[in-house]
Amino acid sequence: MSNGRDIRLLYVRELRSALRERSIVVSSILLPVFLYPLLLWIIYSGFSFVSGQTQGFSSRIALQNFPAEHRLLKAEIEGDTQIELKNSPNAEADIREGRLDLAAEFLPVDSQSPALKDPFRVRITYDSSKDRSSQARDRLTDLLTRYRNFILDSKANDLGISPAEFQQFWVDTRNVATSRQMGRFMLGLMLPIFLVIMLAIGCMHPAIDSTAGEREKSTWETLMTTATPRRNIIIAKYLYVATMASMAAVLNVASMVLSMKSILAPLLSGSGEDYTFTIPLGSVPLILLVTILLGMFVAAGMMIIASFARTYREGQSMVGPFYVATFMPVLFLQSPGIVFTPKLALMPIVNVAMVFREALAGVYHWPLIGLTLASESLCIVLALWLAASILRYEDFLLGSYSGNFVRFVKQRLLGKRATGGGKG
Amino acid sequence: MNEPVVVNQLAKTFFDEARGEVHAVEGIDFECHAGEIFGLLGANGAGKTTTLRMLSTIIAPTSGSAIIMGHDVAKEGEVVRKSLGFYSASTALYPRLTAKETIEFFARINRYPPEKLAERVDYLITRFGIAAYANARVDKLSTGMKQKVSIARTVAHDPPILIFDEPTVGLDVLNALEMQEVIKEFRAQGKTILFSTHIMSEAEKLCDRIGIIHNGRILACGTLDELRLATGVHYLEDIFVHYVKGRA
Repeated sequence: MSNGRDIRLLYVRELRSALRERSIVVSSILLPVFLYPLLLWIIYSGFSFVSGQTQGFSSRIALQNFPAEHRLLKAEIEGDTQIELKNSPNAEADIREGRLDLAAEFLPVDSQSPALKDPFRVRITYDSSKDRSSQARDRLTDLLTRYRNFILDSKANDLGISPAEFQQFWVDTRNVATSRQMGRFMLGLMLPIFLVIMLAIGCMHPAIDSTAGEREKSTWETLMTTATPRRNIIIAKYLYVATMASMAAVLNVASMVLSMKSILAPLLSGSGEDYTFTIPLGSVPLILLVTILLGMFVAAGMMIIASFARTYREGQSMVGPFYVATFMPVLFLQSPGIVFTPKLALMPIVNVAMVFREALAGVYHWPLIGLTLASESLCIVLALWLAASILRYEDFLLGSYSGNFVRFVKQRLLGKRATGGGKG
Repeated sequence: MNEPVVVNQLAKTFFDEARGEVHAVEGIDFECHAGEIFGLLGANGAGKTTTLRMLSTIIAPTSGSAIIMGHDVAKEGEVVRKSLGFYSASTALYPRLTAKETIEFFARINRYPPEKLAERVDYLITRFGIAAYANARVDKLSTGMKQKVSIARTVAHDPPILIFDEPTVGLDVLNALEMQEVIKEFRAQGKTILFSTHIMSEAEKLCDRIGIIHNGRILACGTLDELRLATGVHYLEDIFVHYVKGRA
């Protein structure tokens, strides 16, 4: 049989054309590869820029009713080159209008027998909606904390107690998660949604181009006159769209992991968090398998819907809702507490996202994975059966049917009418 | 003797949202002899395109039969398609393939022997004067250039039967004349050609036999001389009016 040869010929023709089409190359290859590194880089640069800008400013602080007994504290504040002391009769208004960053009002403490001399309370007024004001709060709070520790240490020393003995208790925290586990946890939260979005984006243009696009360019009829069975044409187109979808998803995952490793990890380590972003090698085959299955399912769905359109633009508007429907359920999986259950394993797309998430963390619930593979395969088979049922109709095949998918299913598949034809 | 194209009581009915059930072709009969140009002459909506689409297996007949090179169009679609080349205004080229890739692809998919493929592609490129832009993408070509590539695509697998559905529609005079010359050349090569048109002069000039089709029925069929003799008028335009008005 020459079916394999024909399908290969048609498939290569589709791919060759696609790789010469700018919109397909951008959406299926360049976007998945470069979007997230670029976004992360922009976020990182923006964060660094804003942070650097804030760091570079001095904090304008007004001290009110400063207790004269605490000369050392005053000297510390005055000696800080990043603090600029200001007088402000109406501090709150000045803070609101950005003329002042912070006001520190020193208040007496209502205590009959204070253990330490000259106690005071500080009321800090600042504007959390302004970076510079928040920065002033951090700087003054650090300074006050250091001063309090100094006083407490001095008092302990006067009483003949070492600073270590002065502590009533100590708190040690120990995170049992390794930096690699932390990284995988974070990947598991972020990657599934991006995987589905990118897969759908990567699938959309090829799905429309190979169906509505063919009609719009009048190449569909040319293809119909070739000496190959129609099913070969459909199979080749389907394989091509599924390939582009899966390729977009795989490229995106690789790109995300690399960009998180090289951009996000250093950013997080700067704020004291330690993350290592890697995918467990043992998970790669499973991730590839579910990605391909998801690609096949989304490709089938999008092709069915897009094939009702007669122009590319019409195809885009028809496929739009399906595109949104593919990733909406996955948005609800962003909560870390969601547990993979048999019910979730039966839900298309969601199940793949869950398997993907667990595989990234090196967790394998094999019965649920089996259920996911079976459910996703069944969906693919149903989608292909639906496509085959629709393609039996001649007017649909020739593009003379003027309705959409829902109307077609109601009219034809649910048994209202079953004829169609060409034009004379 | 087996004729390359035998059409017997061929009919096509389809449903149209606005018009309801439409009988586009109503039981037509005709035959094409080997090496002749058979013209289907009719006004717009007469059923020419539907007939040719059934013969090229793009759509299935509702009833009747059509045999191409001994094969039934309804049952042996792939074999029939291998035997014919179909050209119409609605069979465009892939814009992102080059001219050469286009000819190669259609020769391969229509099962032209692989060992002779390169030679065939070179021949067609030379014959249709495509060499200068053989490696240019189709979307960069002019209408005239595309027309040549499109004809080369139609005959890429060297089929014995060629179907041209209103091939000169939308072409300027020079390109239309060139198309007519090419069709004559194919006849000279021994190919059987089915040709539809609504342009009387074109049918008069090209066709060995003419079938006048109106409202999905063949009203008359024969050589121009036979039609003149039957109607008693000389010009094809008058012959056409004679049959169509007579029908009305």
